[in-house]
Amino acid sequence: MASAEVRQIRRRIKSVESTMKITRAMELIATARIGKAQQRVAQNKPYTEKMNDVIRNIGAATGSLSHPLLEQREIHNVGVLVVTSDRGLAGGYNSSVIRLAEHAVAAHQAAGRNVRLYTVGAKALGYFRYRKYQISHHWLSVTDTPTYSDARSLANIVLDEYASGRVDAVEAYTTEYVSALTQLAEKWPVLPIEPPEAADGTVDVAVGYEFEPSAEEILGRLLPRYLEGTMFGMLLEASASEHAARRRAMKAATENAEELTRLLTREANQARQAEITTEISEIVGGAEALSHG
Amino acid sequence: MARMFQVDIVTPEAVVWSGEAELVTARTTEGDIGVLADHQPTMAALSTGAVKVVHADGVTIAGIHGGFLQIYRNQVTLLTDRAEITEGTVEDARRTAVELREAEAEAEEPEPAV
Repeated sequence: MASAEVRQIRRRIKSVESTMKITRAMELIATARIGKAQQRVAQNKPYTEKMNDVIRNIGAATGSLSHPLLEQREIHNVGVLVVTSDRGLAGGYNSSVIRLAEHAVAAHQAAGRNVRLYTVGAKALGYFRYRKYQISHHWLSVTDTPTYSDARSLANIVLDEYASGRVDAVEAYTTEYVSALTQLAEKWPVLPIEPPEAADGTVDVAVGYEFEPSAEEILGRLLPRYLEGTMFGMLLEASASEHAARRRAMKAATENAEELTRLLTREANQARQAEITTEISEIVGGAEALSHG
Repeated sequence: MARMFQVDIVTPEAVVWSGEAELVTARTTEGDIGVLADHQPTMAALSTGAVKVVHADGVTIAGIHGGFLQIYRNQVTLLTDRAEITEGTVEDARRTAVELREAEAEAEEPEPAV
């Protein structure tokens, strides 16, 4: 019959084991989803590259790019977009991007600029709302598997804010997917649009393009698409980063649980052994007493 | 055998079609355009309609909605938000393109929660 101590340790082992089952399942799910998310990032690359190409070529063909979306204004009001996930259990994924954004907001305010805050994901919304920040727009259930219409919705709101003059610039705080092991929280300039820089040799200035309709009109149609494209790329990277961070966090949790079970099992064995030893010495002591009696 | 040139139909989600072709027709905002090898470098805005690609293995037809067409040194790139390769005739592809446009209009309808 196990004593109270042994029973208690066994109960803890069971609880740790069931937690471990959950963390291991989440690790496996995240692993599967990283693959898919990574693939989507890769499939988005050709579009982004071609889009950059087209903008560079228009720039080269017309001498210089000029469009309201490209103009640097004096910044009095700045839009800050924070991209986080809807769910936690992803290690430092959300907190590092939120911290970065909060510092930026504080810096803007210290410099006398007004900040309009846009958030993606429940985590950023919860964090900033709890701290009584005014949130101009928020999006939910986007980052798990971002779609192009999500990106378009983001781009439309941001464009509207910019065009109406409510903000003079927009910057995004999001997580770049460097590799499965490294994800970096960082700032992405969104508006005004910084035209992609021409890499040497990719643009042939001498080419006389024919534009249908005019170059200005094409640029005017192109830039909003370009913004949507960058937003989409940003969301895809954030999503891949989220899954990678979750996998790492869950892997660490599973390993901790394994270690803990090992320690607890050893403790339980020791307690049981101690009990048996006590029992034996009691029996032996009792027998001795009887035979001497 | 007609001269061939590189054609890519690219959306944000995937490369829909890529390969060598001898003729591409598409509908721009200014009207239909037909592209053969050594076409003048051109940049055009696409409207909703069908794209027809004639290549070595036959004809591929896709419905597309919006986007841009770039012709540069025998490289034709169609950048579009939505594209779908369709079976059947150009007419079918046009219908697909209109459906894509409607799908997009629908997706945009619900305003983001504020």
